[in-house]
Amino acid sequence: MSPPIRYDLLLVGGSASNLILAHRLLDLAAKSGLPLTVALVEKSAQFGAHIVSGALTKTHILEKVFPDFKTNGFPIEGYVTHSHLSVLGSEERWDLPHAIVPKGFRKEGHAILTLSHAIRWLAEQLQVKAKALTNVVLDVFPGFAAQEILYAGERVAGVRVSASGDVSEDAIFAELTCFGDKGFLSKDLVERFALRPNPQLWSVGIKEVWEVDLDCQGVVWHTLGYPILDGTFSGGFVYGLGHKKLAIGLVISLDSKNPNLNPQLRLQQFKAHPWIQELIQGGRLLKYGAAVIPEGGYYSLPTRFGVEGALLLGDALGVLDAASLSGLDKSMETGYIAAELLHGAFVDRNFEDLAERYKRAVMDGFIGQELYASRHFRRAFLENDRLLGEYLPAVCQSVDQGHPWLGSLKFGLGKPIQRSTETFQALGLILGRISGDKLFRYTPCHENIEPAFTQPAVAVSTQARPETILSRPDAVFFAAPRYHEGNRHIEEFDPQTCRRCIAIYDRLGKPTPCIADCTAEVHRIDEAGGVRVHGMSLENCIQCRTCEIVCPSVNLRVNPTYEGSGPDFYGL
Amino acid sequence: MKIFVLIKQVPDQGAKAGINPDGTIDRAKAKRMLNPFDRYALEAALHARRLYGGTVTAISMGPPPAIEILYEAIAHGVDQAILLSDRRLAASDTLATAYALYCTVRYAGAFDLVFCGLQTTDGDTAQVGPQLAERLQVPQITYCEKFEIDHSEIVARRVIEGGSQTVRCPLPAVVTVANSAPRLAYKTLRGARRVQQLQRDEAERSRVIRTVNLDDIGADPVRCGLKGSPTIVAATEKVGEIGGNCTLYQGKPLQQLVDDVLAAQVIAPELVKR
Repeated sequence: MSPPIRYDLLLVGGSASNLILAHRLLDLAAKSGLPLTVALVEKSAQFGAHIVSGALTKTHILEKVFPDFKTNGFPIEGYVTHSHLSVLGSEERWDLPHAIVPKGFRKEGHAILTLSHAIRWLAEQLQVKAKALTNVVLDVFPGFAAQEILYAGERVAGVRVSASGDVSEDAIFAELTCFGDKGFLSKDLVERFALRPNPQLWSVGIKEVWEVDLDCQGVVWHTLGYPILDGTFSGGFVYGLGHKKLAIGLVISLDSKNPNLNPQLRLQQFKAHPWIQELIQGGRLLKYGAAVIPEGGYYSLPTRFGVEGALLLGDALGVLDAASLSGLDKSMETGYIAAELLHGAFVDRNFEDLAERYKRAVMDGFIGQELYASRHFRRAFLENDRLLGEYLPAVCQSVDQGHPWLGSLKFGLGKPIQRSTETFQALGLILGRISGDKLFRYTPCHENIEPAFTQPAVAVSTQARPETILSRPDAVFFAAPRYHEGNRHIEEFDPQTCRRCIAIYDRLGKPTPCIADCTAEVHRIDEAGGVRVHGMSLENCIQCRTCEIVCPSVNLRVNPTYEGSGPDFYGL
Repeated sequence: MKIFVLIKQVPDQGAKAGINPDGTIDRAKAKRMLNPFDRYALEAALHARRLYGGTVTAISMGPPPAIEILYEAIAHGVDQAILLSDRRLAASDTLATAYALYCTVRYAGAFDLVFCGLQTTDGDTAQVGPQLAERLQVPQITYCEKFEIDHSEIVARRVIEGGSQTVRCPLPAVVTVANSAPRLAYKTLRGARRVQQLQRDEAERSRVIRTVNLDDIGADPVRCGLKGSPTIVAATEKVGEIGGNCTLYQGKPLQQLVDDVLAAQVIAPELVKR
């Protein structure tokens, strides 16, 4: 029998956090001569193929690892020259005067990335770097998804990557395992050790990249309002990339009352807006994709940032700050901090208190400060549901009528005292001016769903050119999913539960949340002997994990796939 | 059990292949891949090892980049590999190729089974496997889709027209594997790790992947390459690309799209049923 596959360090997920960790660790090992073996497993067949992100980012962490990132070939689409925060009516757009745009939305100077390109570059350069080091062994395993966490007692011992039936052949053991995944696997760790007493809040980010006639490089818009006016916490974005490319997307929180968020349909409605229609005039769609985003922030952070034998990084930890729409630099920073600590730990062969030291370093640094400062951000909207449910739609309406200021004022005058108190309180929370550390409890996303909730009708411009609007099956084509034979990566735990759910929504005349909120035409209803049952077209799945999060009865689980199967987001 | 599997690097079917002025394929320019038929042979070889133990040696003949498919074979679990690479082999036909491979197999030592793909996607002759068996003077089973070893005999099911046939012959033997046989399993973790280890460690690499030339294997250069090939390529005709016009009918209700397509009169009227 062959000896077990063993490394000093195992990185789960080809993510920004893990790749920065590896780069920094290799730099440190190059100086110290520390002998080190590292394995990196990634579920997509090629690095970057399962990566979707906005992505605007500050480059301060990147610069710590690559002081020459501007000239060394790191792929950057440009830098933000004009940053707008806009309110959309169904026909008009109102750019807020710069003076009243919250600081977190002023993105001038930020780098614009196609993150999938950046990830592939980081992975390639990492291998080049490792080749030059005689004291470091780096093995990368794209196309091998970590499927299961392996434990030795209460210590994380490694992961199992596939199910050939022979555990000794499928297991990677390591002194330390770093989880830089989006929760596909780290959720098991979080659950086993009950690390997250306050649940994570998730949103789904959905995005298209277009090649257009207009050159908008460096111009970015963040939008509020149309097409989501049902009170759901959400926003749109349009980023001008290099080479006349345009990223158009929506971020929709999944802790909505609305059981039918229809993210892909919403994105089409967003694109039907006359302003975006003008931007994409003469253009063509290059890529489509979606991914979930952890946005609970401070209150959703785990109690411990790791356990014996493992650390949580990036999105697995949940360091994204929803108030400033920034997660990438913080993800990278978790990798950077972990690398520094791990290097010391491997030199001393001492892993004691590693998770505590890591937590302290993260929370004492800028991540902790930013997340703490904006800790009330989501609470502001959760506690004041009229903000998005009534106030925002009223402003949107007045935007269409051409007098946004007046509209805002008129709404405020309706019930002046109540509305101004609410608004001031909410603003205080949003801007971090209200202090207080009382733990705010989130409810898990699916518990917010009210089956009977009916969204107000959205007026969609009828002028949109039909060739720019895609049905959901057509959109899937642009995410290019490919699956191996016999793939079954979404588990349905109990078919009876699905049947009951279908019955509830059938009575209401609505699709179930899994069907409506799927970004890729996976979930469906099959008629089996007169009974309506839940079915899935798994070959369409682009692995965003939304269905798992919105399933009202927690009856679905999206597992990482085998054999590098899944979408190809390279270019998003 | 000593198992050999013969694999070949072929131009990627998805990419455009270049044609030399003499009509042969420009292998340096073409994007390359493991011959899809060889994937079944590889699976058969690995399957035999799983059931009956032993080692699998992958053998390939080709220019130096062919090492890519040997790495691929190792990622799938092959133990070792031999690459026969020699400029004098250029433009070999099936006879010369089978001779060179015969010399390589002889050089590799005693064997129980040699698995080959049914044919390649570049030459499409399906001759090399049978020719090799003749040279080795061992029995051959072609179009094999299932087999088992029963005391030093192989019992195999062959695909024949309209059905299948079960045959039995003593080992050693040459088996060409049909593409109805089990598909190649995904690469293994240990294999993927081994490949990276070999790419780092030159000494280990030259031990595991032996690169040999005609002199190493004791082949007669006159019987190889263009000189050893009785086949003469009389002419190669380039199939022209038909640059058609493509109209995309989209963005309207289905009925209107159908009307548009009919109005364009691109479908023969007798095929239209309303």
